[in-house]
Amino acid sequence: MERSSTTVLKCKPAGVEQKMKRARGDKRHEMIEYAVETFSLTKIFSDWWGRAKVYAVDNLDLQVRANEVFGLLGPNGSGKTTTLKMLLGLLHPTKGRALLLGGDGSDPRINSRIGFLPEESYLYRYLNARETLDFYGRLFGLPAKIRKMRIEMLLDMVGLKAVANRAVGTFSKGMARRIGLAQALINDPDLLILDEPTTGLDPIGTRQIKDLILRLAERGKTILLCSHLLADVEDVCDRIAILYGGKIQTQGRVRELLQQTSKRQITTGAISDKAVERIKQIVRDEDAECEVASPMDKLETFFIRTVSAAQQKAQPTSGAVSTTKIGDFLTQHEAVESVLDKLVSAPISEQASGEIPATEKVAIESTKPKADEQLLSKLTEPVEKTESEAAAGEEKIKTEPVESETQRQEWVGEDILNKLTGGSDALSRNKSKTEKPQAGDSGDA
Amino acid sequence: MRSIWAVAINTIKQALRIKVAVVFTILLFVLLPALGITTTGDETLKGRLQTFVSYALSLMSFLLCILTIIVSIYSVTSDIEQRQIYTVITKPIRRFQFIMGKLLGVITLNAILLVLFSSIIYTITIYIPRFIKASEDELIEANNQFFTARASLTVPEVDVTQEVAAKYTELNQRGELPADMPRDEVIAQLTKQAQLAKRAAGVGQDLLWEFNNVKPLADSIFIRFKYDVSVNPPDSQVWGRWFVGDYQFFRYGTESKTPIYDEVHKHSVRTFHEIEVPAEVVPEHGHLAVAFLNDPLNSVAIIFPPDGLEVLYKADSFTGNFIRAVLLVLCRLIFLACLGVLAASFLSFPVAVLFCFVIFFTASFSGFVIESFGFLSENIGAVYSYSLKWLIQLLPQFDKFNPTKFLVPARLISWSLLGKCALLMVCTKAFLILILSLVIFSYREIAKITV
Repeated sequence: MERSSTTVLKCKPAGVEQKMKRARGDKRHEMIEYAVETFSLTKIFSDWWGRAKVYAVDNLDLQVRANEVFGLLGPNGSGKTTTLKMLLGLLHPTKGRALLLGGDGSDPRINSRIGFLPEESYLYRYLNARETLDFYGRLFGLPAKIRKMRIEMLLDMVGLKAVANRAVGTFSKGMARRIGLAQALINDPDLLILDEPTTGLDPIGTRQIKDLILRLAERGKTILLCSHLLADVEDVCDRIAILYGGKIQTQGRVRELLQQTSKRQITTGAISDKAVERIKQIVRDEDAECEVASPMDKLETFFIRTVSAAQQKAQPTSGAVSTTKIGDFLTQHEAVESVLDKLVSAPISEQASGEIPATEKVAIESTKPKADEQLLSKLTEPVEKTESEAAAGEEKIKTEPVESETQRQEWVGEDILNKLTGGSDALSRNKSKTEKPQAGDSGDA
Repeated sequence: MRSIWAVAINTIKQALRIKVAVVFTILLFVLLPALGITTTGDETLKGRLQTFVSYALSLMSFLLCILTIIVSIYSVTSDIEQRQIYTVITKPIRRFQFIMGKLLGVITLNAILLVLFSSIIYTITIYIPRFIKASEDELIEANNQFFTARASLTVPEVDVTQEVAAKYTELNQRGELPADMPRDEVIAQLTKQAQLAKRAAGVGQDLLWEFNNVKPLADSIFIRFKYDVSVNPPDSQVWGRWFVGDYQFFRYGTESKTPIYDEVHKHSVRTFHEIEVPAEVVPEHGHLAVAFLNDPLNSVAIIFPPDGLEVLYKADSFTGNFIRAVLLVLCRLIFLACLGVLAASFLSFPVAVLFCFVIFFTASFSGFVIESFGFLSENIGAVYSYSLKWLIQLLPQFDKFNPTKFLVPARLISWSLLGKCALLMVCTKAFLILILSLVIFSYREIAKITV
């Protein structure tokens, strides 16, 4: 209810580089500076006579620093996937060289630290979800107990536990995508290469992947993301490169590339019109323009809230059950995990399944004391809608620099709460209130 | 090793769940018992057993060969074409391990199916005598000539080179050589004539063969033979008087310590027959003579074809022989699995299947192919002997190691024969093929070109 009366102030100028402050996890694997490095990597597809036909990738010098989320963008056919295939040794470069984690992409020692999700989830149609993960787990030589534990966690995380015994061939595209993601994570990779990870996924799945990426980055993992869904890239990437015609057209930090340095944004709680007037006055004194609006929910948030509510009522579905869980082994720091693995090598099956509800409980409990923070996040989030999305993301993090990740996860829980306690009312009110300021939107700058 | 095994298990699951293997399995489950009931052969128990084993074993071997080709090719090409390999090969598994895993899976699946079906064939074979309630005589015949593994001694072709050379010189001197015939052809014809003469007996004439190291295990030895005749007698049957005993006695007239077999039989021409001879006629030193007299009752010359005479004696049990026969089939399957993987490493599914079938069928008639090219070789010469000949030699000889060829006449498949088959087919040819496929697969580009 308070939420709906949030007010947004947008004013000029200046913004602050923020996301760089992201808390980072352990850096044990960071002996090497670059997780991915290519040296004039070139791929020419030639015709039958050996004449060069297409420069799919052209003298590409790409550097992905260890422990960063890197987005490789570009329109269809710009050479993104070809680059990935060369990195992983699926295609041989015509010229140049690629290093993954300081080694060759087809070296098993390197492969054991990489997770790869191809542009489509190419799965063995005749295996069921659990067998699929078991197969990939075996390829990594994971001991049976750890394998079982991780499989159950991953199935739980991608929401396919209920259909784990169904052949993957009968899965919808999004469900297949989820299994594809799970197989890429089974070895808890240091470098995660995702080719169009969110295609075919519902908004909850998309949100979850984004959360996951941020979580992994927090733990010191490197993520190379290939996509043309710009909103997703923007939300998670530290740096991006835009490819066209097999060449890098531009690259740099997302913040630096997108920030509107000539604007500032302030988000407040429900303040009186009088206060707004005073602020406006202050802004006018600074010789800047000012615009006041109530923030809108993102459709994503709204969607997640609705579906979560349905899930709360336990409506049956033949599809994936959307969760916002992230497998424990992916979120714990490695030292902890190795201890965990050791513990787990004791009798395990009950323990593994018992662990998950426990985590859930913790998540729910932790929601309550952080109510204020949630409120804050609620207040800040709608900004993204009303203002240019880029600047919005910036400011939101500015308001709550430390706990951005954890909150993302908890929003859903809070949303459900709202919904149950008459949140829909609040929503309609919210709408009516936002109408007025929206009219002034165009006079923004 | 663990990753190889993971791929192998996956391959087996694939073969079973895409129902290729299931179809073949059901087919065999239905066909084998059906064969057991329907085959009658020449209405005798032995004939029935021979026909069943021959058909059942050939059918099983053929279907498993086809299955091997299809599964080994499909499991590799489908991974590449449907791109599951993207996620597999980027895991800590080397490409050769991937191929080895596929191969291991196919071979394991085959070995399981082979054991299953050969047990069925074996059981049916053993139960056929009880099932048809055979008479005592038929049982004895079946035990002697089918449920056994007999070693075979054959007569080598007599060397007639010198004789032919002399004859040629003589003809040349007399100027009787046909003018329009090259020397090679004349020599070949003369050789044929001379060899035929060594195997022919005119009315009242005899033929003598010698055999060394005859060591029978059972009470009887068998003479297996086939008559050819110059002119067909009215009832297509001829009389023959057979002698078996100590070679020294026949050759030099020394006194024999062992009895001499001497009996007259009437047999039809142009089919194989066996006469049972008590083993006591075999001298201790194992130097045995078999003699044939063209009985004066006949009015035609009798000729023994090149493979027309053998001495057989029991050397092992039927069961042991059957197991080795199955192992011969396994060698064949291993070769085909390697071949399938090789084809799949650089060809698409339909092309690879075609390629393997061509090799498979050629290999099934390799004896014939090699022979016919042998005739050509004299004219084609160097080009042939340095290129094609080697390629053909690289083919496995499925017909030479065909198990039915041994089981039907109850011929011993010796361990040395099995070893030779394994050495040639598996350790040499299949191994070379495997190495080649590993090299090709390791260096090829896995991904499709998509721009």
